Amino acid sequence: MSGLTRRQFLKRTLASGVAGGLVLSGGVRIAHAASATDVMGTLYDLTRCDGCIGQKVPLCVTVCREENKSRFPDPVPAEQIQYYWPNKKKEDWQGKKHLTNRLTPYNWTFVQKAQVEHNGKPLEVFIPRRCMHCDNPPCANLCPFGAQYKSPEGPVLINKDLCLGGAKCRDVCPWGIPARQAGVGLYMKIAPKFLGAGVMYKCDLCYDRVKKGLEPACVVSCPRKAIMFGSKKTLREVAYKRAEEIGGFVYGDKENGGTSTFYVSSVPFEKINAALKEQKSRQQDPAATGFPLMQAGVANFLDSANGMVAGMLAAPVAGALAAGYAAYKTMKEG
Amino acid sequence: MGEKILPEINKVQRHGLSVLFVHWTMALSTMVLIFSGFGQMPMYRRYGLTALPGLGWSADYSVTLIIHYIAAMLFLLAVFYHIVYHLIRKDFDILPRRGDMKESLAIMKSIIFGGKEPPCDKYLAEQRLAYAFIAFLVFAISVTGVIKVMKNLPSFNFSGNLLIWVNDVHTLASMLLVFGILAHLAAFVFRVNRPLIAGMFTGKVDLDYCKHRHCKWYDRLLLKESCKDRE
Repeated sequence: MSGLTRRQFLKRTLASGVAGGLVLSGGVRIAHAASATDVMGTLYDLTRCDGCIGQKVPLCVTVCREENKSRFPDPVPAEQIQYYWPNKKKEDWQGKKHLTNRLTPYNWTFVQKAQVEHNGKPLEVFIPRRCMHCDNPPCANLCPFGAQYKSPEGPVLINKDLCLGGAKCRDVCPWGIPARQAGVGLYMKIAPKFLGAGVMYKCDLCYDRVKKGLEPACVVSCPRKAIMFGSKKTLREVAYKRAEEIGGFVYGDKENGGTSTFYVSSVPFEKINAALKEQKSRQQDPAATGFPLMQAGVANFLDSANGMVAGMLAAPVAGALAAGYAAYKTMKEG
Repeated sequence: MGEKILPEINKVQRHGLSVLFVHWTMALSTMVLIFSGFGQMPMYRRYGLTALPGLGWSADYSVTLIIHYIAAMLFLLAVFYHIVYHLIRKDFDILPRRGDMKESLAIMKSIIFGGKEPPCDKYLAEQRLAYAFIAFLVFAISVTGVIKVMKNLPSFNFSGNLLIWVNDVHTLASMLLVFGILAHLAAFVFRVNRPLIAGMFTGKVDLDYCKHRHCKWYDRLLLKESCKDRE
């Protein structure tokens, strides 16, 4: 299928049938149940993920790094990267490419481990983390340079040739997902000491593969079929069905106004979040990004602003009406 | 209140309340838009503005975004008020005319090197040109601003290329507007332009100034008054 164009892919997925009743049994993949207009998504079944026990690095992480290594940052040597003037600071990860236990510009997914107590028993939950590919992504909407956008297929993409590394996307992301690498990108051609800070990197759901009709590398690699890929709409149904089966919970459907990534867990996400938070508080830098929490029901950054749109529409009307009245009055007087 | 000669106080009524309202609403909202708009770029924390007393909030995108939206409402209200008010009154004195570029150069030449200015209407030729420049930028900023508001809504998903254009035009036009505002204020470096400042606060300018500099307008006002007297 690697030679497929996007159009062919969409046609075939449509032809393959909405196969709406595609059933998830024993980790059977959901892929290709999409229609031409469907947004693609993923579903993590946390009852299946065991963090690849016995492996040094979880397989989804390993294959992600292998698949994307040609797109990882290629900055100038560390000693040539300037501080972000006037501050004595720069975000340079090229000496820490090996890190697989957090998000970095060289590591776009990782697996968190949370120790929780549920139904009176201690439990270990493994949670693969990366960009959630939100329905209304604040990162893309609020990038001042339009360097990010949500593709029609669902993945949220960063234009590495346009990104200046301001990291606003990371600040407005509820999970602080994008990671910054200094010494690379457009800012190096302008005034690297004074303006810009690098390029932001994150998971793009293996967009090139998705366009060819393939599944993301992490999905293919998972030995326990804990990651499913397919039509977001179908996966949402599967997520809730699975949650009902296990008396569990769904994460990612309501959070940030909806995302293309669903998690199903038998443990409430409030407990998982509390465990992650506690873990983070014990880190050397508790405020460090790259270790996302799992806040249940977290709101979208744009909710307040979007609530003002009615006022935005009313303002020109009010202006026109007031002007009409004022003009009539002055003309009558004149 | 319409424009008219006020001989008893040696003034000329140059602007009515509507013009003053639009001017100052635009001025205030534009200042706030520029500050909050630049605040949408990740620069206030980096360059230390947040370290200044009382400005710690300036790097909080959620605060500056709300401020930007409120100021944008005021801005749009003033823009629509301005357009509708002058369209209804068929009041187009400030629109550029043929020969304005040449006349504008002649006025600047006389300001800098001395000599007689060409007779001016209610607005100087450079004011009409400046208006066109600023109006074009206001139009570009408003259109791209509206698209930017739409893209933040969950129901809209624009293409990556459109977003680049919209963002870049919005930013570039805003920067040009800053330049336009600075040039507007720089006009008052020249003493000869200063009597106009009072006009933007009180609506009135000195009668002598009007006779001397805006003689075409003054003649029109005289004609209007004599017609009124005959009625």
